[in-house]
Amino acid sequence: MVDHKSILEERVLGSINRRDLMRGLGAGTAVLATGLGSRSAHANGGGHIRLGWIDHVDTLDPHFTGFLGAVKIHNNIYNGLLKVEYDGKRVSFVPDLAQTWEIQDDKVHTFKLRPGVKFHDGTPCDAEAVKWSVERVWKGTPRSPHAWKYKELASVEVLDPLTVRLTFNKPYAFLPVALTGSTGRAGTIVSKAAVEKYGDKFGRNPVGTGPFKFVSWRENDAIVIEKNPDYFEKGLPKLDRATFLLMKEPSAAIAAMLSGQIDGLGDVPVQFVSQLRAQKNLQVYGEIEGNYVYVGMNCKRAPFDDMDLRRAVAFAINREVAIKQAFFGHAIPAYTPISPPMTDFYDPDVAKSGRGQSFDLAKAKEFRAKSKVKGTIEPLFLASESGLFGTRLVQSVLPMLAAIDTKPKIEVVERAAWIQRRNSGEWDLFDFTWWADLDPDETITPEFRTGEAWNYPGWSNKRFDELVNAAQDTLDVAKRKEYYTEACDILMNEAPIAIVSHMPVFKAFSQKVKDFKYIPVDSLNLHTVSLG
Amino acid sequence: MLLFAAGKVLQTLMVLLIVSVVSFTLLKLAPGDPIQIMLGTENSPEAYASLMKQLGLDRPMVEQYFHWLKNFVTGDWGVSYVGKAPIFQYAFVEALPVTLTLAASALALSILIGVPLGVLSATRRGSGWDAITSVFTLTGTSFPSFYLGILLIWLFGVKLGLFPTMGFVAPWNDFWGGVAHMTLPAITLSIYFLAMIVRMTRANLIEVLEQPYIAAARARGEPNWRVVWVHGLRNILMPLVTILGLQLGALLQGAVLTETVFSLPGIGQMITNAVLNREYGIVQAGVMITACLFITTNLLVDLAYPYLDPRLRPR
Repeated sequence: MVDHKSILEERVLGSINRRDLMRGLGAGTAVLATGLGSRSAHANGGGHIRLGWIDHVDTLDPHFTGFLGAVKIHNNIYNGLLKVEYDGKRVSFVPDLAQTWEIQDDKVHTFKLRPGVKFHDGTPCDAEAVKWSVERVWKGTPRSPHAWKYKELASVEVLDPLTVRLTFNKPYAFLPVALTGSTGRAGTIVSKAAVEKYGDKFGRNPVGTGPFKFVSWRENDAIVIEKNPDYFEKGLPKLDRATFLLMKEPSAAIAAMLSGQIDGLGDVPVQFVSQLRAQKNLQVYGEIEGNYVYVGMNCKRAPFDDMDLRRAVAFAINREVAIKQAFFGHAIPAYTPISPPMTDFYDPDVAKSGRGQSFDLAKAKEFRAKSKVKGTIEPLFLASESGLFGTRLVQSVLPMLAAIDTKPKIEVVERAAWIQRRNSGEWDLFDFTWWADLDPDETITPEFRTGEAWNYPGWSNKRFDELVNAAQDTLDVAKRKEYYTEACDILMNEAPIAIVSHMPVFKAFSQKVKDFKYIPVDSLNLHTVSLG
Repeated sequence: MLLFAAGKVLQTLMVLLIVSVVSFTLLKLAPGDPIQIMLGTENSPEAYASLMKQLGLDRPMVEQYFHWLKNFVTGDWGVSYVGKAPIFQYAFVEALPVTLTLAASALALSILIGVPLGVLSATRRGSGWDAITSVFTLTGTSFPSFYLGILLIWLFGVKLGLFPTMGFVAPWNDFWGGVAHMTLPAITLSIYFLAMIVRMTRANLIEVLEQPYIAAARARGEPNWRVVWVHGLRNILMPLVTILGLQLGALLQGAVLTETVFSLPGIGQMITNAVLNREYGIVQAGVMITACLFITTNLLVDLAYPYLDPRLRPR
């Protein structure tokens, strides 16, 4: 008899690597490690950290956000039922507001909560509060953009004041990741009283249970949070205050970092990484995360409804060169969408295995010759200057495609227009990145299953759908790996996308910032941080 | 006089109305909407429809406009779609003072430095000083302020560490802090105007100094400084003020870039971000405020003429 709990822990709890933060269990060690150099009268640390923030922050309501730049801040204000931890090798999920987490017959998840936890407004964070928060995402009005993650939820019940039970229609391996879109803090819990008090303005008046309380948000200027003295992890947080300075221009943020006007940067664009690394007084964090960059091809219309033409594109892209040009060398070639941090599913020898896509001009030309599309084509390449690397990937890929008689016409539009065009399918080629994924299920299922909203290329394959569906209902890691390996092989072979790379996501701090706990899921948890 | 004032007010209102219709329509016609941006990758048709309805964006465009107009006029500027930022507070209380401080500092800097430089060039026409000033002004008018801002940041902020390069400190709360934070942005924004004022002053003053009344003044034995700084300068104020009034638009445009480079939370950044995020309400507020600024300045320029030139005073 397989112990499903341990399997889940092993895999979901155990495996991934997503962009987000965590904090928590490491607190004890961090307290021991700090001690020195604190400048406030408090026993441990204190001080006011100023962070440059070039990411977009849409709302501080975790149930309605669509941006990692906001989630990184949420994680300092809220707790989830579970949280992400990282030991330097693997990312794991551990209970956060929950004290224990039990799973019965694969479908029933019972969470026992920490006693005595209070929201910043003084209301208790008990089973009722958890139930209310879950229901807000699951079937609240207005509808949360994250509601789909509870699609298989059948019921949520309060067993006693500190016990809550979630029952699903089927085994749900993805649950910890899926609980909400808040990467790293699964099932973020918000104060019911505050939501009722502020209504749709809750996102500007956030109330959680986290280590920091919200102070102010001045548009385009700064978001300020301050220490929650009643935080349930003893001795945390150490900082008195944190300010996220909202800056739009990356070079201005870098200048502020170099001149010591800020203590850290929540996101460092790759073109500045070498420059920051050269500074002795700075620390730069960044490992390959659970993401992939791709060039998508519109399978729904000519010319890329032709599979051989798509394969030609997939083999024509020289990943090494593209990585140098578009990411300044800060990326590794991708062969399939499964990224290295998904340790249970990633094949470390994928480069040598011959699986997936890679650069092979001879093969590309072969497929181009085989394709029904003859002569030089001029497909429409939809591009935007927004994002971490702007149009650099497009520029890098163009000459490579010319080698297979494909000379795209580039159309650069601004972000809002780009999103609309992408969603409506008025393009032949576009480039895109999926960030901060923790599990193969979220990294390929909603992206490529037939008819899914994220399946921008409009690709469809029956066998692929069967495999990813089967993997969703399976808890056995080896079995899931088999499914995903086959699914990825089909995907790469039919090439709705030409996969390019996996990227690290960088953050920088001055040397006086102590005890930041890096988690490769683009998180920025300030729980243990202090200023030396 | 009353009739004149009433006409002016009516004209202003008409202009504002037209501006609001045009900006509203243009933005609505642009592809993309705030919900698509808000949902990002979490896009699902149900969530989209639900949010469109909640924000009232599913109603006909004309209805949305009049809804906005009614609320705007009655002082209810609403909140932004996604972040729920109170728009009046954001635009009027927070962003406007930043932009006004920036523009005023830049303008003051341009005038205080530009006019004397122009006068010196005009009175020493053809000298080495004049040549250096010409080179400087030509560079100033042709140098992109965005790039100048970055250069200043690197030199004075990063290399020398003399000035802060980001953020706004209100001078009425912390005067010297405010001055320090405003120094580099004000220089950046002022360079273009500074150069323009030097050229304007020089050209106009040269012309004025050749007029008979200047010769008359000299003949009366007035000292040279009085001839130039009093008689000369008085007569170039008209063209100078006119140009400054007309160039206010350029100043606000420059403010957009300057605010971005120096992370100043002003009107310029506010409007750019709002346009990119399709925050119609904020764009409208920004456009209205900018239009009012523009109209007010031009009105002030009109009103200033009689003081600058006695010939225009009513008899």
